[in-house]
Amino acid sequence: MRFQDAAPDARAIVYAGIQSDPLVARAAALLADATYEERLLARAVMNGESTDAESWRIMFPSLFAAGSGNERAAAILDASLAVAERGEQVRSQFRGAIVEALTELLLRRGNPAAPPTAIRRERRILFDGVRAEIHPYDVTIEIDGAAAAVDCKWGARGISADVLHQLDDARTHAADDDERLRAVLVIFDSLRSCGVRLERQTAPQAGTEIVGLETLDDLAAPAS
Amino acid sequence: MPPVESSPAIPETIGAAIDGARDTLEGLVALGEEVDDEWQYVQDLADAWRDRLDVVEAGRSDEALLPERGAAVERVCAEAGLIEDPHRAIDWLSTFPQVLLAALGERP
Repeated sequence: MRFQDAAPDARAIVYAGIQSDPLVARAAALLADATYEERLLARAVMNGESTDAESWRIMFPSLFAAGSGNERAAAILDASLAVAERGEQVRSQFRGAIVEALTELLLRRGNPAAPPTAIRRERRILFDGVRAEIHPYDVTIEIDGAAAAVDCKWGARGISADVLHQLDDARTHAADDDERLRAVLVIFDSLRSCGVRLERQTAPQAGTEIVGLETLDDLAAPAS
Repeated sequence: MPPVESSPAIPETIGAAIDGARDTLEGLVALGEEVDDEWQYVQDLADAWRDRLDVVEAGRSDEALLPERGAAVERVCAEAGLIEDPHRAIDWLSTFPQVLLAALGERP
């Protein structure tokens, strides 16, 4: 099993510009420390219609109760509105890039001793005698014995047969080579909605870990 | 956050909040159904969240809602009502009940 940078195509080059936007790093850093409800705030605002901060403060009374001084929630609201104020197509790309950056940050927390190059973005995984997948994985952990292929989605609707097959194929090819590879699908959406989407999928999913909005912090748990 | 003003649209009990929210949810369903390829997903998603709301209503229907929580419910229903794009409506079929439940002090 080998990891390799994906060959950049036109889409990847444009997307790389989004990924490197400071707003992505700012939002991801805030969300890495956030509670479930603060992450839900980000999800709602980044795909909402209103760009009026006061409306959102009213919608989340437990975060913005008078005198609560929740600075992190305020900063998340601010960053999320900055995403929402972009055009529809651009905000969609920002949302995806933020979930990927957040995933990478949390995985680094779970592997504090790992060198920076052990956790990477946009990498393909190659196996001897197996045709390589065209699409790279969003995040990979490249540590012997604790490797992982991770894909990230904004919403449960992003769960598809293609995504499940690609993750499961990587896991099974690794097993064929007597290597262990975790297959992980991170979805910035409720596990209830993910379960609904998964229920009608016939693609293999038993070997893939599903991480939802409520369980994102599991990514930062020490790798076992 | 400014003090909440009383309004007929602001529910005063959990039951009233969920009653109103059901209409909002059905509005999102009708919009999301316009995406032909996702018709079944829209039905499944709506069923799953209706079931969750039923459970909350069954246990807490008569419970009074603090004014700021009632205002939150009214505002998130209004926000969902602004959505006109069917694809965004599908996304909000998941987001809306989560925000509603958070306003009611519930987990998803």
